Amino acid sequence: MRIFNPSFGMAAAGPAKVTLQPINWATDAIALISNSKPNARELLEGVRAMLGAHRPVDNIHFHAKNSASQPAPKELIEKVAKNYKGALLALGD
Amino acid sequence: MKDIAEQEVIDIGEMDVEAFNEYATEQGWSDGMPLFVPTEAKVAKFVETVRGDNRPYAPVPPRQIVPTVQALAANAVMAGCKPEYFPVVTAALRGVLDPEYNLHGTLATTHSCAPMVMVSGPIRHELNINCGTNCFGQGRQANATIGRALGLMLLNIAGAKPGEMDRSTQGNPAKFTFCFGENEEENPWTPYHVQRGFAPTDSVVTVMSGEGPHNLNDHGSTTGDGLLTTFAGGMSNPGANTIYGKGPMFVIIGPEHAATLKRDGFTIDSIREELWKRSRVHLSRVSKENLVTYETTGHKPDGDWLSIGRDPKDIHITVAGGPGKHSAFIPSFGGTTVACTRIA
Repeated sequence: MRIFNPSFGMAAAGPAKVTLQPINWATDAIALISNSKPNARELLEGVRAMLGAHRPVDNIHFHAKNSASQPAPKELIEKVAKNYKGALLALGD
Repeated sequence: MKDIAEQEVIDIGEMDVEAFNEYATEQGWSDGMPLFVPTEAKVAKFVETVRGDNRPYAPVPPRQIVPTVQALAANAVMAGCKPEYFPVVTAALRGVLDPEYNLHGTLATTHSCAPMVMVSGPIRHELNINCGTNCFGQGRQANATIGRALGLMLLNIAGAKPGEMDRSTQGNPAKFTFCFGENEEENPWTPYHVQRGFAPTDSVVTVMSGEGPHNLNDHGSTTGDGLLTTFAGGMSNPGANTIYGKGPMFVIIGPEHAATLKRDGFTIDSIREELWKRSRVHLSRVSKENLVTYETTGHKPDGDWLSIGRDPKDIHITVAGGPGKHSAFIPSFGGTTVACTRIA
């Protein structure tokens, strides 16, 4: 007996390939991004404090999605990409 | 030899229904209830019902694969649909693929949301979809299997496997099936799909990622004003996602309640306005910790009150059900939309 596979589908085209630039974690601007769930901010504050102890410049900034349940808006992603060399994400829950 | 997941057609040898169900469970295709066998012949009958609908499907998140019509039909066959239900199921799938519906978020969340499917227009009667007594419950093949078919597609095509991609803390019985029809015949205002700009003669599927129906019992109120006080009290919920997720919700008014509201001069818009005002949650009912979280994520109270949506338009209203003094409130996931699709 032959059946149709209920989980079959064609792979969608993947996203464009991105070339990562090198980052200097001691001096480059870093974005700390919260998914807006409880405790994400606390996690990032700990990361900021630890990084701050080893960095001579104060250029680490917090950002957050405006909704925990929705993807980050395009504007936020573009802003982070434009202004920071590195980004760390915290997924609280 | 190809992996099974890469094969559109699989030769499973000779199997009876019980053996097929064991096999399907091993493949992760089952929602836990018995499945029908998606043979080539059965799938072909379903595909025939959507011939001519050549609009492509977007990749289905989270798995991000583009389904074939045959794979979609296989899920509808397994759910127990009749072939003529299939255009309703595919319209529902197109609805949940609206980017604003946020399919990835609604399937991966710890929230209990399930895809609510509401059918409007002439097709309700053509397919014997229950719009009246017990419309959210058991008893009709169309209601039971259309909702189930969408659920199986989300399991097998989208990849929402419980405990893996589907991380719902407790789940929800509506995840098995949640499909009903509008009771347009006893709606004293405008059917929902017409509110959304469709013609009364159009058949339309509306989807929203919602909780199951919360009953709104009011046997005592004899005025529309009294009913709205009860409805708003039931909707004023500090534990609903929409208290901070700010999204849509449905109030499905029973025909007897609808008649009372209409008699007292209420319209869809005035009901929305009144429910919006009266369902706000007083800050004394919200924990201090939650208030801090809401404020830091941009959901500030208005004075001493938190609203349960963004504005009155987040409250979607229609009529369904049969005789009796009950209505229902269906809060959504929050970060989602109410998507309508005309059935091709």
